[in-house]
Amino acid sequence: MRFLRYVLKSLWGHRTRSLLTVGGAAVSLFVFTFVGGVRGGMDQISSGWNERSLIVFQIHRFCPETSRLPEAYGKTIAALPGVADVLPMRVFMNNCGATLDLIVLHGVPPQKLRAFRDLSLVAGSFSEFETRRDAALVGRTVADRRRLRVGDKFTVGELTVTVAGVFSASNPAVENTIYTPLEFLQYGRGLNSVGMVTQFEVKVADGADPVAVARAIDESFRADRVQTDTRAKGVFESFAVGDLAELVGLAGYLGYACIVLVLTLVSSTTMMTVQDRAREYAVLQTIGISWDGVFRLVLAESAVLGGLGGALGVTAAAAVLNWGGLSLATEGVSVAFSASGGLVAIGLTVAMVIGLAAGVFPAWQAARSDIVEALRSS
Amino acid sequence: MALVEVIDVVKEYRKGEHVIRPLDEVSLEIERHEFVSLMGASGSGKSTLLNLIAGIDRPTSGEVIVNGTAITRLSRRQLAHWRAAHIGYVFQTHNLIPVLTAFENVELPLLLLPFSRSERRKRVALALEAVGLSDRADHYPRQLSGGQEQRVGIARAIVADPLVVVADEPTGDLDAESTEQILELLMRLNTELGTTFLVVTHDPRTAGIAQRRLRLEKGKLLDRDCPAHVATITEDE
Ligand SMILES: Nc1ncnc2c1ncn2[C@@H]1O[C@H](COP(=O)(O)OP(=O)(O)OP(=O)(O)O)[C@@H](O)[C@H]1O
Ligand SMILES: [Mg+2]
Repeated sequence: MRFLRYVLKSLWGHRTRSLLTVGGAAVSLFVFTFVGGVRGGMDQISSGWNERSLIVFQIHRFCPETSRLPEAYGKTIAALPGVADVLPMRVFMNNCGATLDLIVLHGVPPQKLRAFRDLSLVAGSFSEFETRRDAALVGRTVADRRRLRVGDKFTVGELTVTVAGVFSASNPAVENTIYTPLEFLQYGRGLNSVGMVTQFEVKVADGADPVAVARAIDESFRADRVQTDTRAKGVFESFAVGDLAELVGLAGYLGYACIVLVLTLVSSTTMMTVQDRAREYAVLQTIGISWDGVFRLVLAESAVLGGLGGALGVTAAAAVLNWGGLSLATEGVSVAFSASGGLVAIGLTVAMVIGLAAGVFPAWQAARSDIVEALRSS
Repeated sequence: MALVEVIDVVKEYRKGEHVIRPLDEVSLEIERHEFVSLMGASGSGKSTLLNLIAGIDRPTSGEVIVNGTAITRLSRRQLAHWRAAHIGYVFQTHNLIPVLTAFENVELPLLLLPFSRSERRKRVALALEAVGLSDRADHYPRQLSGGQEQRVGIARAIVADPLVVVADEPTGDLDAESTEQILELLMRLNTELGTTFLVVTHDPRTAGIAQRRLRLEKGKLLDRDCPAHVATITEDE
């Protein structure tokens, strides 16, 4: 486009106005992308699990710290019809409730882990994890975020663990998890948890109805002192982050509001430009630029404003999401925020489309204005 | 065949029942290489006639034919493209795009035509040289005097080698000295390059350099048709 120079120089000619608009667009698209990243993290939780896993929790308990089930329940559950396998788990964390800097340890019998999780090691070894008392297997996302390598020690609350391996997994939510041997979390000083676990994860046998199995589990402990509450794993975790999900859902509307905001912002700036430069467009048309040429010139200006602002905002948001090490956790379920390539592409596309859309009305105004009238009125 | 033929052109403006008719069946011919001036009272329709010939306005009825093309029949887009190739337009003021340099302003019409980059450069350089502003190529309009700005406007009008250059009171905003410079420039372009001019003016001196002087009165064109030198002598007395 031979007139690109003119477009850029026009924007530069009104640089205060242009920069303010670009800034506004950047902030809005930052929020839009950020909200998208948070929502993406939430969605991973509910979508990553198959429906044939159940979680057995203490009834009426929501924070893992307060759910305490006798480890012996595991044997009872395993004996029930329709149950293929049972994974006892103790969840330990440095804080309960929503926090941005939560570390959760999942204590499991080391030999059983691989039966329940599809993990492949990126570094370290499984045998180290199976033999070392304070070993930790760290998900790739956590390792990246906290810059953990094999052999590193880190402390959660009063416990210090040693990284035995870093793993990747097909489920992104799993990559955000740290596993330690179950006994380490039971026998640790001050834990007071010998023989107790937080929950059981139950694999339902092929052909069995998960709902019926869940009911049977809860039924068999009905008469005991500690009763249970069993749900599908995805449902359980969605439930745990339920309040958050609601908040994030609201934030989603914020994201859409931001789009409307950029649209009006870029549109009003472009409209001002068009009104200020009515004579200039008339001169250009006299020189021989056609009405659709003027239309494209105006559109190009708004697209540059929207696109540039959008690119800045999306890039900034992606940087913060991916390298800021942000994760939000509540009730032992942690949500990792990240900006996927898809999200960035969506952000940039949205920015471009908004830039163009914002220019349509002003461009149409400029293109349809009468040359002689515009020359006469200035 | 004349270069420009205006045939029975009527231009009307309606305001409710009120009808203004600044041009009432006007006919006019301009020959190639001619220098024609157009005078008349304010509101007599001079600009209107000029704009019709320049193809930025359309008549209520009648026909405008330039170099064999009936421009009144072209579509809006076709007309724009036709203007780019065949019309140079000099305004009274604010000819230039403020954010572009003198060079870039003069280059604008060439961007619409199939010229290569190097050809554009050559033509712009020639046009700026013709108006004596080669050394101001990189200046922005705000860095130029009124007279210089007008000369850049003239350079832009001639750069694509148009059939006709129209000018609407090109010296209307200038002092005597700048006016003199502009008039000399227009005459030189007319004699040396053979550029055809139609110049609207209130200034008898500007009209004086024309080979043919026209006057609009009450919607009708009075063709005085007096030779330039006679006019100059009359003006000097
Ligand atoms: N859009 C319009 N609506 C109504 N009347 C108009 C319109 N445009 C021009 N006119 C009228 O047409 C007439 C001719 O206008 P024009 O501008 O051609 O005059 P002019 O001879 O160039 O005047 P001046 O010397 O002041 O520039 C004027 O009476 C003007 O008021
Ligand atoms: Mg006029």
